[in-house]
Amino acid sequence: MVSTTPLDTINGPHVSELWKSRNDRERFQWGSLALLTPAFALLVVLFLIPVGYAVYLGFTNLTLVGPTAVHWGFTGAQNLTRLRTDTTFIASLRLTAFFVVGSIIGVVVVGYGLASLLQRAQTWIRVIVGGVVVIAWMMPAITAGMTWYASTTAGGTFATLTGLNQSDFLSSQPLLIVTIANIWSQTGFAMLVIGAALRNIPSEILEAATVENASPWQRFRLVTLPILRPTVTAVVLLVALLSLANFSLIYVMTQGGPGNATNILPLYSYQQAFQFNNLAYGALIGNVMVLLAAFFGVLYVRVATRRS
Amino acid sequence: MSEVDVNPDTARVSVDTGGPTIMPEENRDTHRTTARSITSNVMLLVIGFLFLAPMVWLVFSSLDAQATWSVEWPHFTLSNFSQVLTGSDFQALVNSIVLAVLSTLIATVAGMLAAYALSRRRIPFKGPLLLFVLFTSGVPLTILIVPLYQLFATYGLLTIVPTAVFLAVTSLPFEIYLIKNFIDAVPEDLEEAARMEQASTFQVLTKVVGPLALPGIAAAAIFGFVNAWGSFVVPLVLISPATQQPAPVAIYGFIGAANVRYGDIAAYSLVFCVPVFILYALSSRLFREGFVLGGAVKG
Repeated sequence: MVSTTPLDTINGPHVSELWKSRNDRERFQWGSLALLTPAFALLVVLFLIPVGYAVYLGFTNLTLVGPTAVHWGFTGAQNLTRLRTDTTFIASLRLTAFFVVGSIIGVVVVGYGLASLLQRAQTWIRVIVGGVVVIAWMMPAITAGMTWYASTTAGGTFATLTGLNQSDFLSSQPLLIVTIANIWSQTGFAMLVIGAALRNIPSEILEAATVENASPWQRFRLVTLPILRPTVTAVVLLVALLSLANFSLIYVMTQGGPGNATNILPLYSYQQAFQFNNLAYGALIGNVMVLLAAFFGVLYVRVATRRS
Repeated sequence: MSEVDVNPDTARVSVDTGGPTIMPEENRDTHRTTARSITSNVMLLVIGFLFLAPMVWLVFSSLDAQATWSVEWPHFTLSNFSQVLTGSDFQALVNSIVLAVLSTLIATVAGMLAAYALSRRRIPFKGPLLLFVLFTSGVPLTILIVPLYQLFATYGLLTIVPTAVFLAVTSLPFEIYLIKNFIDAVPEDLEEAARMEQASTFQVLTKVVGPLALPGIAAAAIFGFVNAWGSFVVPLVLISPATQQPAPVAIYGFIGAANVRYGDIAAYSLVFCVPVFILYALSSRLFREGFVLGGAVKG
């Protein structure tokens, strides 16, 4: 915003000073603080402080009931030692890995498959199938869990469909079923986002590849995939974070059971804190989840900023 | 679909192939063989059927007087719906509305003010502040449950209103980003014109920026509502009085009940879904990109 006015030539030094202050016109206003305060006060009090508090609680002996519910204190690495030898925790890590990785692969593969199939589908099929998948995604987690519980329990829809009427898939393959349910409830999002990215690929590029005798696989690997990479990376991160924090869906379907067959970290954290009354130990398991989420975040930033 | 391509690289290619106005859809269709198109349509129908299958129970059983876990052609009745729209089940729906509306209001107003400041004003450490907001949106919410329970229990806050405030905080980061993107797109000239006329910041927000960024603000509000509406574990832990529990906790209670009322579960679940479906449809009209992102962060 430099305006060359006759004033420039008349009284030089004064105007240059003026120009300086004008250049710096967007100065900090105290009013901005008033605008920022509500949001950031809320974020600090109900987000940042609790996260810090959770880290601290993980190293205490706080319980939900009993004497240590009132008189509790710092116990150092005691909980960590327990964590290292806790076979349920180790198993929970493995279940979480299966659930998260399975969900990522399922959502991306089915989401991409649907997105690319829908592009060349007939209109009515596109509307119906796309609509059904999007409805599955919009459904609140609690309802999705309900629906899948009903469909996979003994005598449910899938038992009827497979002709094995009394088989209880939810009991015999619990981890697989909750993973499929999670894929079901997140695919719609991937389909929409990947579909939008696919439509943005100029058809000329694909045609040029076809003219150059590129096979469909080469076209996919050398043209489509590089263009889709940022979108797919973002989808992977979101699915990873949403699946890692998934509580409602599994809790409604199995409560982490049968046994501990679907007891992924968020459920185990809740179970320790509120069912076994070990608030502190539950908080520590939560801290492990934050580390895992941070790991995904760092991984995402590294992949997203890498130039190929 | 047919966006104008301004990328110089691809524009050159399109000139080579004789004209920049190729309709991608048409062009692709002519190149597809019929067999391939049939295969993809059939595959789609199969996948669509698998996605639809779990939902069938929900619809059929909600209308069935003798519903069980299995899918059967319903003995038609609407009594399941009238049953769940009375008493404590209905109260839970009302609680859900209170929780979601309150949380939406708080998050959207606070989010809009912060978004405006972050978009327009010179703020020291703006970069780190935005990073902090981004960081909060990536933290798994489940880990906040224990510390918040302890905090709320200590100060006697295990009720619906503090929980609504917390739920507002969970959607605040994304709302700030969403609204900020929209305010960024509002031309600054309009605001300067208003300032010339001695408009206060409040007037600029309500009369100029607010109306122009309304699609973004509405989409953010819808996101906030859906987020609070669907939350289950937060109210389960943070709301102590049973009479203040929202609908998701009621749905969960249905399964644990001594005699499971299958038809009621289905009817209630459907009723619970309706506002979400309506709001998503509404927000997809408001704008497509934000709609897509908005659902990405559902709890």
